[in-house]
Amino acid sequence: MAAPVKPETATGAAVRVRDLTVAFRTQEGPLPAVSHVNLDLVRGQITGLVGESGSGKSTLALALLNAVPAPGQVVEGAVEIDGVGDVLALRRGALRKMRGADIGYVFQASQNSLNPLKRVGKLLLDLGRSHGLRDGRALIQQSKALLADMGLDATRVLSSYQHELSGGMRQRVGIVFALLLNAHVLILDEPTTALDMLSQAQVLEIIRRIHAERHLTTLIISHDMSVIGDLADRMAVMYAGRVVEEGPTASVLACPRHPYTRALLAAMPRITGDTAGARALPGRPPDLMSIPRRGCVFEPRCPLATPACLDDEPPDTYTGDHRFACFVTAGETQ
Amino acid sequence: MITAQGIARTFPGRGSMLRREPVRALRGIDFTIPDHGAVSFIGESGCGKTTLGRILCGFEEFDGGDLIIDGQSMKALRSRDRAQYFRRIQMIHQDPYSALNPTRTIGQILGDPLHLRARQTGAAAGWVRDRRAELLGLVGLDPDYVLPRYPHMLSGGMRQRVVIARALTVDPEVLVADEAVSMIDVSLRLGILQLLQGLRAKAGVSLLFITHDVATARYLGPDGELYVIYRGMVVEHGGTDAIIRHPTHPYTQCLLSAIPVLRGIEEPGPDRLIPLAPLDERTQPPGCLFEPRCPQAAADCRAAVPELTQRADASPGSASPGSASPGSASPGSASHEWACLHPETRSVVATVAS
Amino acid sequence: MSVTASLPPEQLQKAVTRSRTVSATRWRILVRTPGRVISLVIVTGFVLMAITGPYLYPKNLPINANDIYAPPSWAHPLGTDFEGTDVLALIVTGARYVLLAAFIAAIVTLVIGTAAGLIAGYYPRSTGRPIMRVTDFILAIPGLPLLMVLATIWSFGSPQQMGLVLGITGWGGIARAVRAQTLSLRERGFVEAARGLGLPGRRIIGTEILPNVAPYVSMNLIMQVTGFIYIEVGLFFLGVVKYSSSNWGVMLNNAVFQADALTNTRALSYLLSPLICILLLTIALVTLANVGDEIFNPRLRKI
Repeated sequence: MAAPVKPETATGAAVRVRDLTVAFRTQEGPLPAVSHVNLDLVRGQITGLVGESGSGKSTLALALLNAVPAPGQVVEGAVEIDGVGDVLALRRGALRKMRGADIGYVFQASQNSLNPLKRVGKLLLDLGRSHGLRDGRALIQQSKALLADMGLDATRVLSSYQHELSGGMRQRVGIVFALLLNAHVLILDEPTTALDMLSQAQVLEIIRRIHAERHLTTLIISHDMSVIGDLADRMAVMYAGRVVEEGPTASVLACPRHPYTRALLAAMPRITGDTAGARALPGRPPDLMSIPRRGCVFEPRCPLATPACLDDEPPDTYTGDHRFACFVTAGETQ
Repeated sequence: MITAQGIARTFPGRGSMLRREPVRALRGIDFTIPDHGAVSFIGESGCGKTTLGRILCGFEEFDGGDLIIDGQSMKALRSRDRAQYFRRIQMIHQDPYSALNPTRTIGQILGDPLHLRARQTGAAAGWVRDRRAELLGLVGLDPDYVLPRYPHMLSGGMRQRVVIARALTVDPEVLVADEAVSMIDVSLRLGILQLLQGLRAKAGVSLLFITHDVATARYLGPDGELYVIYRGMVVEHGGTDAIIRHPTHPYTQCLLSAIPVLRGIEEPGPDRLIPLAPLDERTQPPGCLFEPRCPQAAADCRAAVPELTQRADASPGSASPGSASPGSASPGSASHEWACLHPETRSVVATVAS
Repeated sequence: MSVTASLPPEQLQKAVTRSRTVSATRWRILVRTPGRVISLVIVTGFVLMAITGPYLYPKNLPINANDIYAPPSWAHPLGTDFEGTDVLALIVTGARYVLLAAFIAAIVTLVIGTAAGLIAGYYPRSTGRPIMRVTDFILAIPGLPLLMVLATIWSFGSPQQMGLVLGITGWGGIARAVRAQTLSLRERGFVEAARGLGLPGRRIIGTEILPNVAPYVSMNLIMQVTGFIYIEVGLFFLGVVKYSSSNWGVMLNNAVFQADALTNTRALSYLLSPLICILLLTIALVTLANVGDEIFNPRLRKI
């Protein structure tokens, strides 16, 4: 699919994903985990990416760093970042430098991504050193400032091992790692999964504040629509490797146009609204093998499916800067 | 029916030999799970709710108070006599993957307890097969699809349904769901919640739902009860909807304030509260346990430990209409009680935007 | 998720039917890579040698005083030994002792060690304690010196005797490891659930815990076989055990101490033949060791 002509934002985007396709080699041949994705991350805005397991959101995030692990590989498309160029075209040295200095990536707290054998302070120094920053004292100073900013006891955290920290603390340390080298793009993969409500609220508040203070371009990936709905200025909904809906958060949530978005909102346990009005989604999220090869990927579970949905993938329809891909709802009038 | 009276549990502490402090996980909790009822425990991690669930299933000992199952006190029995009572309470674990043996098929997993049952009751040949299919139907799974497969071939939602079916093989009275939907995709959670609600009528079970996500507790039925647990104590208790609409204890208000608000369709509550400090399990406050973190703490909160009571002089809008005696129930639902010296109902929960 | 998890319905039915036959699945796992196939062939070859070897040759192998330490030729593909006996014949007939003793030792350690480990791990506070005392005792026994001492009064003529003694002194390690695994498996959700459902302890050990320690045990078993081969060959090589039958260790002993094979090339093939056999067998066994993991852990299957 060729890159659509967008009304504006083309120049305001710090990260431009164009027609990105990532495929995995399997016994059945190469299967796409991310398919023809176009996405802009606008500078100074928080963009949220909502998707369940198998939607390809984590693969997409890794592709932004050109870090998709084998047997996956980027088959098509480009990821342009301001000041760096096309990430997918970078060679090893430049790539390593970019990761950390331009893009900060924050892993899930529950994925033990910190070396369990070294103290946090040592790990931060390692990070700096691997990017050529030899002034340890300055690094520690900066880390302490960042940690204090996160509401953590800096001295205690720096001398701790990762297992001595709670989930919320580990998540915040992860954010410090990502920002230590003054990246201007921040990617957070499931920042609050496995955290309880209070820790989650705290981490979200920190993200909001850090984003504003440093004027970052932030991408938050989550399967939890409420986290995205609270934090993100713009949101994109992914299903089976495609972005099925995207736009300003308030617009997408108030007037969802794609049947999957609508179904997800109706099936989400919420604190407001009538519980009797909730409708469970039939079927289950597809994985690599079971994504339909022809037609709309959501067709098997879609309450509005028509025979036309089996033949072609729906193109993007635009209403203002809110886009969605559905044959049926495209015809709806507001 | 299950009644807990003053359940307490203290763990010998971790830490070096010199500084080992015991951890009081539960400090005397009372609750009742009525037949066919739905009771939820909410609280942040480390508040003791998981320990309580495990005590109820017989996986942990309790060292204070008593647990009364169908009129029989557990304290009075020796541990080997308790097993048959605890069998009536079955656990649905948080992680549906580790709750199923990866080396056995679903057919075998469900067959084991059923065969045991068949031997004990002298059932006819084929009873196991029929009952297995019946239970799978009850949880919404297709036997032909599911029986020959291994757990890793099913989705998280399906695995959790298998776990529920397995729990039902011994005709339990209570299902304890400990964060049962936390590790399942959002689009599949409602299905499990509605299944659990349905089982109250179809299988005659009552539910104990342990979660940190209050929103999920709403979907177990309109008559659900909620206990808010903080550091091993009940700080607020009442009907689920009543508490969500009129939370009275500051801790409950903090928990509900933390729920993310969906832009464009929800408005945040005007009086949201944030705890002043993170949870520190090592501190032993002299008075109210929540006082060090409470944004509404007053001077006398350090002096006395508040008891769980209803108060007639609570702010207008509270759920107990004007009655002064503790324990009197508002019509049609559980009484609303809280343990706070200065309770005040606040609007902290988001509302649907107009 | 495994590949079969979500194929379209028709293909899935076929895949499920295929995996229904447990032995069919296990066969496919065994032959999945060329390395495994070769290893399988090697091990099968040696096992056949062990079984049929002694029947292919007369009981007393012919000696030929004119042809000692002959280099490889058509008549003697691996040369001859100090008496003129064909080395190939020696290898083939000697295989039985080596393999049978190692195999018996491995079975003994498997049975005793696994049982001890499972019970000690599942009942750590009651039956487990005395079992671990015994295990610690067994572990403390110095195997090689004990065997050397025993060798002065016992000639280990039959492989069964050697295997039994090796087994009885060697099960400590497996017991320890199985116990550790059992202790951790005990806390897993499905074991807890089985207890809560009222399944008896015996059954839980057998159907819930054992299949999950099986991968480790099977891999360990194969590695133990190689270990036992070394020990017994070593014992015979050192001359500690008086030999009353021919085997590879004895061949090595003769080659090094009688033919001085380490300092001259006269009896090179006599020295190398048993060495290479041991090497091949060991490599093949190690390659097959990770098959156990795939067989017992359906999650890892790539089929």
